[in-house]
Amino acid sequence: MVSETEETQLNSLENQVDNGGGGAWEYLCLVRKLKVRRSEKVFKYGLSILNDPKKRSALGPEEWTLYEQVAIAALDCQCLDVTKDCIKVLQKKFPESKRVGRLNGMLLEAKGSWSEAEKAYSSLLEDNSLDQVIHKRRVAMAKAQGNISEAIELLNKYLEIFMADHDAWRELADIYVSLQMYKQAAFCYEELILSQPTVPLYHLAYADVLYTLGGLENLQTAKKYYASTIDLTGGKNTRALFGICLCSSAIAQVSKGRNREDKESPELQSLAATALEKDYKQRAAGKLGLLTSALRSMKF
Amino acid sequence: MAEDLVLDTAIRDWVLIPLSVVMVLIGILRYFVSKLMRSFQVPDHKIVKEGQVIVRARNLRAAANFIPPKSFRSRRVYFSNEENGLLFVPKGQAQNAQAQMFSDPNMAMDMMKKNLSMIIPQTLTFAWVNFFFSGFVAAKIPFPLTQRFRSMLQNGIDLSTVDVSYVSSRSWYFLNLFGLRGLFSLILGEENGLTGAMFIRYLGPEDSKCVWVMDRYAAVVITGISKNISKQVTMKLEYHP
Repeated sequence: MVSETEETQLNSLENQVDNGGGGAWEYLCLVRKLKVRRSEKVFKYGLSILNDPKKRSALGPEEWTLYEQVAIAALDCQCLDVTKDCIKVLQKKFPESKRVGRLNGMLLEAKGSWSEAEKAYSSLLEDNSLDQVIHKRRVAMAKAQGNISEAIELLNKYLEIFMADHDAWRELADIYVSLQMYKQAAFCYEELILSQPTVPLYHLAYADVLYTLGGLENLQTAKKYYASTIDLTGGKNTRALFGICLCSSAIAQVSKGRNREDKESPELQSLAATALEKDYKQRAAGKLGLLTSALRSMKF
Repeated sequence: MAEDLVLDTAIRDWVLIPLSVVMVLIGILRYFVSKLMRSFQVPDHKIVKEGQVIVRARNLRAAANFIPPKSFRSRRVYFSNEENGLLFVPKGQAQNAQAQMFSDPNMAMDMMKKNLSMIIPQTLTFAWVNFFFSGFVAAKIPFPLTQRFRSMLQNGIDLSTVDVSYVSSRSWYFLNLFGLRGLFSLILGEENGLTGAMFIRYLGPEDSKCVWVMDRYAAVVITGISKNISKQVTMKLEYHP
């Protein structure tokens, strides 16, 4: 996950490069380090560096990493010729390289020749069956072809071996949510929370899934996780504040007939509502009316 | 017994400094040679999976407070279940790690190579020091020592009345041997700090099995997300509206 400081650094560098000040190489290095997807910019600036022989030679051995980076960015921008040229250069320099083989596979994927790409990847996997990136590319390919069930199967098999890979868990959770398999998605989010308990995003997503599942127990747990999200973000997360209000009203509805366990919830709720109103007043005063009426209708 | 010997500065110029320089150079040489000689070890499925299982189990233990009790319990059973738990190692097999380490040819070769690449330069340098730099006082240790250290530190010096603080070049060699580790980790990155460590334990499956056993028997008490989380958040929202 990209931290806030890194994000601001990235944005400032981006602005600098966009407006003509130098620093393209630092920008590219930062993008590579943080693994963000800014393919258009990377493509533009990377290509300009590569086409300028003086700048290219100034890079030294990093030149090849830049080739790889630009090749992948070109794939994203659908400029397959550029990718082909980059791959050719890399292949001349590093024949028999697995990384270049992977780039070839990605090029085939981008062209849409799925079976050939599959063949390329399986041959790479034969050499090293524990190559994480190739496994993930196969999952991506299955997903791109629309074959979600196969993607799930491949991802599950991958996770059986590499169960500490939290990116894979995240992808699996996304897929499950898209298929409305909320119980399984909840499991994946639990894994994510276990591996990175201080990232509020996962708490929030988990709470959302629990809220969607419904049922008194899940609603109560969802409320707790919304609360922990607020805790982790210092009260700034609007969605979690909404979540608390919604959960409380849903709990109230579900437990209407039974005896209400009166916890400190009314306080939490009213505080969340107040915080929401304040937030809206600050940022979207026009919608404040909507908010107050919605909150009123949620009254317990 | 406490005479002050004046040591020739030539000793410093021609013994201490060259010895240190030579050891640094040999260390760097060894680093590059080991890099060249390193064989690409094909990762084994089982070992990779074991490593990942351990990481996952460790995460479970560390962050147990962050998931609901039911999920924690189901995961704990998954890991430490008697029949097919991932961490469960039946008693007989647990002792095997050591034997397995030696019988696995790749690992044994690797270990041997690593040991050799350390032993040979050490032996050669030691012999060189003994041959060229013996029989005289090389340095003075700034703090006083007891007589016990005489045999260790004053090996080439055959006078029994010389203060123990005056040591031979052999002790300077040993000092460098153990002391240059820090310097190497600075120059060469974390890769090679293994200059003087004579007893490097090969951290392989042997250790992971220990970790497994620990994870299995770890008594974890959790209560799920704290029941007080609502109270905490209420207080937070009150004080920082």
